[in-house]
Amino acid sequence: MSTTEKKQDTYYESIIKNGFSRRDFIKFTAFMAAYLGYETSAVAQIATALKTTPRLPIIWEHYQECTCCSESFIRTNHPIVADIILDKVSLDYTLTLMAASGHQAEAAKKATMDKYKGEYILAVEGSVPMGEDGIYCCIAGKTALQQLQEAAAGAKAIIAWGSCASSGCVQSAKPNPTGATPIHKIITDKPIIRVPGCPPIGEVMAGVIVHVIAFGKLPELDRQGRPKAFYAKRVHDSCYRRPYFDAGLFVEEFDDESAKKGHCLYKVGCKGPVTYNSCGSIKWNNGVSYPIQSGHGCFGCSEDNFWDNGPIYERLTNVPGFGIEANADKVGMVAAGVVAGAAAGHAIASTMSKRKEHKGRVDSGKDIEKQVD
Amino acid sequence: MTTISHEYKRVFVWEVPVRIFHWVNFIAIIALIATGILIGNPPALMSGAEATNQYWFGINRFIHFAAGYIFTLNLVYRVFWSFMGNKYANWKVFFPFSKKRRKNMSHVLKSDILLQNLKNSSFSNISVGHNAVASFSYLIFFILILLQIATGFALYADNATWWFPKLFAWVIPLFGGDALVRLMHHIIMWFVIIFSIVHIYLVMYHDWLEGRGEVSSMFGGFKFVRKERVDIKKELND
Amino acid sequence: MAERIVVDPITRIEGHLRIEAEIKDGVIVDAYSSSTMVRGIEEIVKGRDPRDVWAFVQRTCGVCTTVHALTSVRAVEDALGIIVPPNAEMVRNIMEGVLYMHDHVVHFYHLHALDWVDVVSVLSANPTETSRIAQSISNWPKSSPGYFSDVQKRIKRFVDSGQLGIFANGYWGHPQMKLPAEINLLAVAHYLEALEWQKEIVKVHTIFGGKNPHPNYLVGGMACAINTDNPGGLNAERLAYVGQLLQDGKEFVEQVYIPDLMAIASFYKDWGAIGKGSFGNYMSYGDFPTAGYNSLDPESFKFPSGVIKNFDLSTIHPIDHRESTEITEFVNKSWYEYTGGDNEGLHPWNGETNIKYSGPKPPYEHLDMDGKYSFIKTPRWKGLPMEVGPLSRMLIGYGHGRKEFTEIVDSALSKLEVPVTALFSTLGRTAARGLETQLVANWTVEFYNTLMSNIKNGDQRMANTKKRDPSTWAKECKGVGYMEAPRGALAHWIVIKDGKTANYQQVVPSTWNASPRDPSGQMSAYEATLIGTPVADPEQPLEIIRTIHSFDPCIACAVH
Ligand code: HEM
Ligand code: HEM
Ligand code: NFV
Ligand code: SF4
Ligand code: SF4
Ligand code: F3S
Ligand SMILES: [Mg+2]
Repeated sequence: MSTTEKKQDTYYESIIKNGFSRRDFIKFTAFMAAYLGYETSAVAQIATALKTTPRLPIIWEHYQECTCCSESFIRTNHPIVADIILDKVSLDYTLTLMAASGHQAEAAKKATMDKYKGEYILAVEGSVPMGEDGIYCCIAGKTALQQLQEAAAGAKAIIAWGSCASSGCVQSAKPNPTGATPIHKIITDKPIIRVPGCPPIGEVMAGVIVHVIAFGKLPELDRQGRPKAFYAKRVHDSCYRRPYFDAGLFVEEFDDESAKKGHCLYKVGCKGPVTYNSCGSIKWNNGVSYPIQSGHGCFGCSEDNFWDNGPIYERLTNVPGFGIEANADKVGMVAAGVVAGAAAGHAIASTMSKRKEHKGRVDSGKDIEKQVD
Repeated sequence: MTTISHEYKRVFVWEVPVRIFHWVNFIAIIALIATGILIGNPPALMSGAEATNQYWFGINRFIHFAAGYIFTLNLVYRVFWSFMGNKYANWKVFFPFSKKRRKNMSHVLKSDILLQNLKNSSFSNISVGHNAVASFSYLIFFILILLQIATGFALYADNATWWFPKLFAWVIPLFGGDALVRLMHHIIMWFVIIFSIVHIYLVMYHDWLEGRGEVSSMFGGFKFVRKERVDIKKELND
Repeated sequence: MAERIVVDPITRIEGHLRIEAEIKDGVIVDAYSSSTMVRGIEEIVKGRDPRDVWAFVQRTCGVCTTVHALTSVRAVEDALGIIVPPNAEMVRNIMEGVLYMHDHVVHFYHLHALDWVDVVSVLSANPTETSRIAQSISNWPKSSPGYFSDVQKRIKRFVDSGQLGIFANGYWGHPQMKLPAEINLLAVAHYLEALEWQKEIVKVHTIFGGKNPHPNYLVGGMACAINTDNPGGLNAERLAYVGQLLQDGKEFVEQVYIPDLMAIASFYKDWGAIGKGSFGNYMSYGDFPTAGYNSLDPESFKFPSGVIKNFDLSTIHPIDHRESTEITEFVNKSWYEYTGGDNEGLHPWNGETNIKYSGPKPPYEHLDMDGKYSFIKTPRWKGLPMEVGPLSRMLIGYGHGRKEFTEIVDSALSKLEVPVTALFSTLGRTAARGLETQLVANWTVEFYNTLMSNIKNGDQRMANTKKRDPSTWAKECKGVGYMEAPRGALAHWIVIKDGKTANYQQVVPSTWNASPRDPSGQMSAYEATLIGTPVADPEQPLEIIRTIHSFDPCIACAVH
């Protein structure tokens, strides 16, 4: 990436670009120093810091989630997470890692919202419950909805981490008891990057952030708001078991001969053919493996609504309303059988009901028969 | 009122392009159903073979996609012909909603489908081209296969390099993802199968009941109409 | 007059936890623990295929990211009468062991350490002295003065940038921060190292389960087939990779985590008398089967099971998960409704999850403690509150007189020069977590060796698929799966009808510890252990966070 990297403006450069003088910059740093309670001798230091190390402020919210997105994020191998949070961004608020609790934590968030209005990135992990006016998720006495609206107002862009924030995930699966709702259905006036996956791959999460920092802009998104760089391909289209698929060599049941040979998992429910993610190419945890490589089918964890696209071990979704085990083929076969039966019944009934009419034709036909030699 | 004779005249109904369309359509659909069912439920080949030596599932899918293209182009060709061909091929016949066609529909339903023996049956109720029920079923069929084409090409689009399949890429987000689109594609197949069963049965049934060469018409293009029918038309025109 | 303080959000935990505490004369006199987030997972899995449920409930938590999956497959296997092959059992044990190592190390450095370690004071440390201390307590290679001085420079650069990120508004300079600057530097260096280390150890999950967080499980065994003669399955390369990772993991635990823990603990011995709580009931379900999860031999489980009542280590009471009078859950103070009345306790097979909020309308200042005040239900064992977690496991192992446990506990106590009673405390909880990590790291290597010798002896089975087809199931059946999750005793109860999940109930470690009061007014562990804690500055409730963190709260787990 570094070879093509368009160097991002430092704070110094951006201030100069915006028409301020060097003196303004020094004044600004002096103000900053006072604000932070440093002695005047620190002004020069801060000036150097701002000249050299601009760090993108990030507020990372947690709503209805399981924190596995944060966990996945800290697993990233390139760059490693310490480098991201110490050198590349300023992670000013995150319930998982921040030192401060309670009102100190909320104050840290508020400070970033005020100081970097329009500049910070809002990262959201988790869905927002919309049922019962949002009381199913409250933080510091406010609902997630209120918290989201406040934090989104001054954000430059929003990253919806994981399937929770980008499509509702497990809590939004039927019957969605809390009205769990993804971010883009609530905030509609900000650029939103959806990074689905349950969780997304750590390197993908880091990649999204690195993209913003290294290229100075949001990554290009597909029709569904996902960064193309990571979600343009189906798992199936980069799966190393694909030759077995094309050869028609399938695992029929777990741990059978085919399973031991690493054949294709299509028939034990693999949703790789309908799932857009980087699992086949980037793989997991620094390329060690991914679900399919470890013998379990993909269950489509980066697709909208995937919990209701199950069962996990069936390739196609069951058709609702037809009792247990009603897949499309069973319903279809029954329906086709019924129709064929009806046709046969109709054929028999018509030989009786239309007997007279038909007999007339046969008789006249016989007449003609007699007239020909 | 003319007395009903048992004399028939030969009438040219299905022009060559219609017949070509029909049989290309027939073959493509059979191929699509056969390969589609295999895609949906590949049989167990518990062989010790390595993938290097086999490619049957890939070939199967290739046939499916190739047949899908042929099927789609054939349909485009038929739409084109519905503006060029004779009155039995015209697009208007697929919209049997005029008063006369609605009457015909109720007749066909009562007499042919529900097997009532109608008192004052008149040969004007016997259609020359499609009867109203048949043409209505073709309208439904047309909508079904448009959906099938849209879902099929939408699934195909991501691997395609050509612009045509990409025209359908919007279908995926519309239904929230590949999974549902694939399921729809699979389910629509069953509707196509059911249509085919009913259609083939009714074609043969009408052939049996009316004895006007219904089945062979799709090969040779001719059907038979009562002499009187031609005479009346002549009278009217005279 | 008592002053009511609110700490919400409690950070460096999983989930949404709120503590309200009454402080009188600088000491906590009353405390309320509440969770303000719910998802309704138990309702969502109803009607689903029991073979799929592990994946849904796994999403209860991404921090203890395998325990609900494992508990769920155990519950379903119990209901259907499936016994998994020994290899699958060992792989599950290894994965669980890895979770312990990962979870406990991350808890210690990234969630708990900033309660004890003052990051800002690192700037004034002498790296050479830090290096000397490091080398005196461990053989860990990264301990030169240069190394620590680089870390110090990095922190300085960071602080000088003016953007303090996750360290902003921390409790730096708080009177309760007692470590010398040099130990602070050591801890911060290892904070960063542990952050790198933790992404390595989880690769064991990736190899067996395809990814981490949320590796894949399977009813009947595991999906990762073994094939020593084919790259399509687990072969020598994959297995050697696991072996290496376990070895590296164990080294870090022994050479970094444990020495740091002991070094830091020695400055906070006063915390051996804080956070004791009043009831003294400790429970463990037992885990890490070595002769099969279904084995009837209690000795074959690495963690023994049982209950200790009222600090009495001499008697260990047995637990029966199936007995309807033993484990029950109450909702008298929780935002749910029971059809038979809220003061009743329901055994999980008959459990209900009817969410019904009745608290104040947000934004609110305080919850109404006279009414219901949490989304966490209140579980009880024979009507008693139980503390669960590493401390409980160590105490029960100790109470059983298992040598491994008594040795490691006694040696830690004598090193720190504190009495046995110091175990019942905030410090005890944090120390127990470290000690058990050491045990688990050893066991995990044992499990790995068992797996390897099994394979060597020709057993390559990984899944028992005989009963995967629903047509082979009874029309109605029920099961219970239990385990020891990092935070304590965990169990799931399932009722299966017509091949579908008819009822599903999770009773989770943090549910035991973080729950509100029961109908007889008994507090659960968080509330009970906060009482009596001194708070130097109510504006900076560091002491509350310390005790709460000693439980390693996971509130998404607790509520689910
Ligand atoms: C009457 C017409 C068609 C029928 C009956 C049919 C049937 C099927 C069936 C049953 C499947 C398997 C679905 C599953 O179980 O996942 C399938 C897959 C598919 N069909 Fe069709 N199809 C038809 C037309 C088309 C057309 C016009 C296209 C366009 C190229 C198309 C493209 C596809 C694709 C891309 C797949 C997915 C195959 C894969 O990725 O392996 N189909 N079709
Ligand atoms: C997959 C099976 C089939 C499909 C999907 C199908 C579809 C169609 C369609 C779309 C038409 C309207 C033609 C037009 O106006 O362009 C049609 C008409 C017709 N088809 Fe088929 N066809 C099938 C099989 C057959 C077979 C096996 C026969 C008989 C041998 C047959 C005989 C006819 C006849 C006679 C007509 C004209 C009948 C009428 O006016 O109702 N078809 N068919
Ligand atoms: N409490 C809890 Fe868990 C654990 N350990 C699960 O059962 O953390 Ni997420
Ligand atoms: S997307 Fe999945 S992994 Fe991430 S927080 Fe939600 S449930 Fe957890
Ligand atoms: S294992 Fe899944 S993703 Fe891979 S080729 Fe088979 S169906 Fe496709
Ligand atoms: S289940 Fe998820 S992790 Fe990848 S292989 Fe499938 S998208
Ligand atoms: Mg529960």
